[in-house]
Amino acid sequence: MAAVLEYDGITKEYRSWLSRRTVRALDDFSLRVEAGEIFGFLGPNGAGKTTAIHLAMGFMRPTHGHGQMLGRPFGDAHTRRRVGFLAENVALYHRPAGPLVSFYGALNGMGGPDLRRRTREVLEAVNLLGEINRNAGKFSRGMLQRVGLAQAMVNDPELLILDEPTSALDPLARVAVRELLLKQRNAGKAVFLSSHLLSEVETVCDRVAVLHGGRLVRLGRTADLLESRGHMEVVARGIDPSMFPGAVRNDGLVSFDVVLSAQRATLERIWAAGGEIISVNPKRRSLEEIFLEITAEASKAAANGNGASPTLESRTQTGGGL
Amino acid sequence: MKPVLLIAGNFVREQRWPILVLLVWVLGLAIIGLFIDVRNNRDDILLIFKQLAIYGIAFSVFFGGSAIHNERKSRRILAVVSKSVGRQQYVAGLLFGVSLASGLYCFAMGMTGSWVLGGAGFPVYRLIYLIICLFIASVLAASVSVMFSTFFFNPLLATGATGVFLSAPVLAMQVLGSQWGYLLPVYSLVELFLKTSFYDQRPPDWSLVLVAGCEVVMFWVMASTIFAMRDIAVAVE
Repeated sequence: MAAVLEYDGITKEYRSWLSRRTVRALDDFSLRVEAGEIFGFLGPNGAGKTTAIHLAMGFMRPTHGHGQMLGRPFGDAHTRRRVGFLAENVALYHRPAGPLVSFYGALNGMGGPDLRRRTREVLEAVNLLGEINRNAGKFSRGMLQRVGLAQAMVNDPELLILDEPTSALDPLARVAVRELLLKQRNAGKAVFLSSHLLSEVETVCDRVAVLHGGRLVRLGRTADLLESRGHMEVVARGIDPSMFPGAVRNDGLVSFDVVLSAQRATLERIWAAGGEIISVNPKRRSLEEIFLEITAEASKAAANGNGASPTLESRTQTGGGL
Repeated sequence: MKPVLLIAGNFVREQRWPILVLLVWVLGLAIIGLFIDVRNNRDDILLIFKQLAIYGIAFSVFFGGSAIHNERKSRRILAVVSKSVGRQQYVAGLLFGVSLASGLYCFAMGMTGSWVLGGAGFPVYRLIYLIICLFIASVLAASVSVMFSTFFFNPLLATGATGVFLSAPVLAMQVLGSQWGYLLPVYSLVELFLKTSFYDQRPPDWSLVLVAGCEVVMFWVMASTIFAMRDIAVAVE
């Protein structure tokens, strides 16, 4: 598949004039986002997510390395006509929602009846058509975020880059945005989603990348990441839960986790005890658990003086690759 | 061109309250004309207009020096430059916006002046020439200010640097001769306004206006080039 967004060995350093201190926000960062996928971009505060996004949008230049967006180098103004962007802590002019969205559409070269139609469509999509004449300066933060999403989508972009798009939304609006993102993907568009709402990322993203200290520490398909390699969940009937540590009985079924290497022996013990195996599945964990584990590992590695992730290479091979 | 016009129009819209206050202030002078004998107080009225000319330059410098800073500080710049807007178009839009604001101010001065000063015997064609000089001087001062604001993001620094930069030709004129006024003709253009009188019979000299127009383009190119190399956003985290 064609890459719609590609970072190639990008390093970004911020230099302070006065203290002569240099902060490396991104360190040899490489990533490829493909058309027709929703890509989750995760990382703790200060990991470099926003920097990576701003580099792609051309708001800043990399110190080293280069990147491409829709086949053109970062910062190409014409390419941005095919991209939608929503910034974290969205800030927009104080105008009625309709003219505001039209203003941003016009900046992208749109005009006439097409712009008017698209403005209404996107405002309807974010459930703000009823507020089309209301000044955005009087909007709540959630409404502002929704009108921000509308301005990002007004040009029907091939690539949608969203930095924390649902942080201020109520659960209903969040579901609506989720459906909107899925619709974008089904139309063959790509969505690059930076979010701290891990449950949401887990639900909609095809692939995720985790950034820590400016470095990519994990990348893979969401389903693969959630699958706990090396651990299986066994559900059986007709056995005593005390046979296996951590086993619990629920509605007559006994379930417990077992390491992959002990799987065969465990199943034989169940059969030997006269039990019946209902299911054996790879154990699934939440993205939150994985995120906490990854960031803890990365922090530990950084504290030991090894900034590079010890796990990236092996995990990316099993998790979909770069 | 469309993004430039949109950004310019948006700038004027965002600054509508300060612009309105300035316009009301200038147009308020017309009211003076209703209540005083303009022919007997004509030198005082001309002095007020000379002060207004200085204020016009000062406001355009301040508008120009703070435009990028305000957009960055409010983070509204991100939604604009995330569209198909080049850095040179963005700078041109802001500069055109400041020029529109200055144009409105100068237009108001021209309207008020042609009534009040015209009523006191000041030649209207001369006033129009002086207003054009003031307008182009304001735009040039704004372009210098915008240029400084592309690397001094702090508006006070940008405004201060502009003040020093615009003063340099004045010193050069004093020490080396009046031809140095062409180097950066903001002062030379304003000086025409400041030294005018009811007896001023000098014919209009358009060479300074032409030089200033060329320099506006030059400073816009410089500002765009510098701004294109600057990081305009930093991580909020």
